[in-house]
Amino acid sequence: MNGLIPVIFMFLPIFVALIIYLVKRPFIHILVFPLQVILAVLYVLFVIDLQRFPEQNLIVFGGWDPSIAITFYIDATNLIFIGLTIFFWFIIYYYSFKSNYLEKKFFFFLTFLEGVFLAALMSNDLFNLFVYVELIALIVTLLITYKKVENALKAGVQYLLLSSVAAMFYLIGVLFLYYVFGTLNIQIIKEGMAEVIDYRIVKLAYGLMMTGFVLKGAFVPLYSWLPKAHGVAQSSISALLSGLIVKIALYLIIRIHHDMFGSPFGFNDVLLFLGFLSALVGVIFALSQKDIKQILAYHTISQVGLMLIGLSFGSGVSYIGGFFHILNHAIFKGLLFLIAGVIIKVYQTKKVNDIRGLFTVLPWTSLLLVIAMLSITGAPMLNGFVSKTMIKYAFNDNLILFTLFQLINIGTIVSFSKVALMLFGKPLAPVKVFHASLTQHIPMTLLAILSFIIGIFYQPIFQFLFSFAAYNTHVFDFLSIIDYVVYVSIGFNVYLFIIKKDFAPIKWLRQFYIQFPTVNYLMLVVLITFVLFTGVF
Amino acid sequence: MNPILTVIVMLVAIYGLISSTNIIKSVFSATMLESGLILLFLNLGTLNGGIIPIFEGVSIAIVDPIPQALMITTIVIGSTVTSLALIISIKVFHNNGSIEWKDIIS
Repeated sequence: MNGLIPVIFMFLPIFVALIIYLVKRPFIHILVFPLQVILAVLYVLFVIDLQRFPEQNLIVFGGWDPSIAITFYIDATNLIFIGLTIFFWFIIYYYSFKSNYLEKKFFFFLTFLEGVFLAALMSNDLFNLFVYVELIALIVTLLITYKKVENALKAGVQYLLLSSVAAMFYLIGVLFLYYVFGTLNIQIIKEGMAEVIDYRIVKLAYGLMMTGFVLKGAFVPLYSWLPKAHGVAQSSISALLSGLIVKIALYLIIRIHHDMFGSPFGFNDVLLFLGFLSALVGVIFALSQKDIKQILAYHTISQVGLMLIGLSFGSGVSYIGGFFHILNHAIFKGLLFLIAGVIIKVYQTKKVNDIRGLFTVLPWTSLLLVIAMLSITGAPMLNGFVSKTMIKYAFNDNLILFTLFQLINIGTIVSFSKVALMLFGKPLAPVKVFHASLTQHIPMTLLAILSFIIGIFYQPIFQFLFSFAAYNTHVFDFLSIIDYVVYVSIGFNVYLFIIKKDFAPIKWLRQFYIQFPTVNYLMLVVLITFVLFTGVF
Repeated sequence: MNPILTVIVMLVAIYGLISSTNIIKSVFSATMLESGLILLFLNLGTLNGGIIPIFEGVSIAIVDPIPQALMITTIVIGSTVTSLALIISIKVFHNNGSIEWKDIIS
C-alpha cells in the first residue's frame, strides 16, 4: 500500500477538483484544506518509508515490463520539489480562499493543476512528461485568462501557443530518442546513453529538447511571454507561476540534461552563459518598468537565471546553492506577489509612482514587504543571501564572473529602491482602506517567518535536504553586512540620479517587446546554435 | 510515405510560425507542425508486411504499437490546444477588433 503513495499524490487532487466542480454548494472548496493535510501526512510517511525500503522509488503501473510500462520514479530531487509543491499550494489556497470564494471553477483548475504538476514531477517517462507539461500549459492559460480581462486574453493566447510549440520541439527530440532506444523510460535510456551519445540523431534530439526547456524557463532570448503572462494574472496566480510553475524547466534540466544525458558536450558552459545573460537582461528590463507586477515578473527572469548559473556547475556547493535558490525564490517571490495583490487592491493602481505612504496605510503588510525586499536583494540573515552566496562560491576567484554577479545584485537593489519608495510619503489620492482578511495575512506572515528561519538555520536544513554538510562552507561573516550596506547605498544613489530621471534609453527599454513571430524565429536560432554546439557536423 | 515529405511539412509550418503576423495563421502553423510530427513518428513506426500486434504466436513480424498509442494522445492534446487558442482568439477579436500580433500586444 505504501508503495502507491505517489499515485495518490497525483489522483487525490484531481479527484477533489472534480468534487469541487460537481457539488453545487457554497464553500465546497474548503475541501482543499483536508486535501493538503492528507498530502502532507502522506508525504512524511513516504519519506520515512523510502529510507526503510529504497526500492520503492520506482513505481510500475500495471505490472508490465518497465521498458514499455508507464513508470514513476522518485529520488531526492523530486522529493524536495514535491514537498515545495504541497507547501506552496497550501499557501495559495489559504490566500485565495476568501478573495475568490465565489469562483468555483477557479478552485477546480487550481486543484487540478496541483495533481498534474505533482505527476509531472514524478513521471519517469519522456512522453508522459510531454503530456503533463502540455496539460500544465493548458490549465495555466485558463487561470491566466480567468477574469477575461483584455490584457490577460492576449497574454494567455501567446503563452499557450509558445508553450505548445516548445513542447512540440521537445516531442520531436523524444521521438528521435525512441528511434534510437526503443523505450521511453528515463532510467533505461540513462544506462545506455554513454554508448550512443556520439550519434548524430542523439545530438539533434538533445538540441531540440534543450530548446524547449529554454522557452519553458523563459531564459533570454525567449523570455518575452513571461512578463506579460505573470504580470496580468491575478496576484495569487502570479505568485504560483513565478514561484513554482516556471521552475518545471529547471527541474527538467536537472532530470534530462544532468541526469539522463549526463551533462554532455560541455553544455554546462553554455548554460552558465545563458544564466548570466538571463540574470543581466532581466534586471536591466526590470529597471525600466513602472508597473509593480511587471517589475516583479522581470525579476523572475533574472532570478531564474541565477538558479541556472548555480545548476550549470553540475555538482558541488554552487550546484546545491542553485537548487536551494529554487526554494528560496519560491518563498520570497511568492511573498512579493501576494503583497502586491493586497497593495493593488487597496490603491486600485499598479503604477509604482502613484503608490505612496504604505507604512501608514498598511503597516503589517509593509513590514512583510521590507522582509521580502531584503531577502530578494540578498541581505544577510535572510534566505536569499544564503543561496546567493553559495551560487557564487565556484567563481569567487574569477574576477569577471564575480563582478557580473555583483552587478546583477546591485541592479536588483536599484530596481527595488523604486518599490521601497512606496513605503514613504503620503498617499497621493485618498485610498479606501481595506483590511486584508486574516486568510491573506497568515500565509504571507508564514512565508516571511520562513525566510528568516532558512536564513538563520540554514545548516541543519542543508543537512536535512541535501545530506550535505554546509559547515565547511563559509557563508556568513561580518564583512558581508558591510558589503550589503555599501551595495544598498550605491544602488539607491544610482536609482535617484540615473533611473529616476527617466532618460530616453530607459523609455525605449520599457516599450521594447519581442513579438510572437520573432520569438519563433529566435527559437529556431537557439536550436541551430545548440545543435552546432553539440558538434553534429 | 517518404519521411522527407513529413520533414518538408514541418519546415513549412516553422516558416509559417516565423512569418505569420496573425493569431489564426499562427494557430494553423502550430497545428501543421504537430501534424508533420505525427506523420514522421508514424512513419518511423511502420513496417511493410507487418501485422497488427493483437494475435499471439504468429511468426510474421508485428508492427511496434507504441508510436500509434503515443500519437493518438498527441492528436488529442493538439486538438485541445488548438480549440482553446481559437476560443481565446475569438474573445481577443471581440475586444480589439483585430487579431494581428502587432495590434494586440502593446
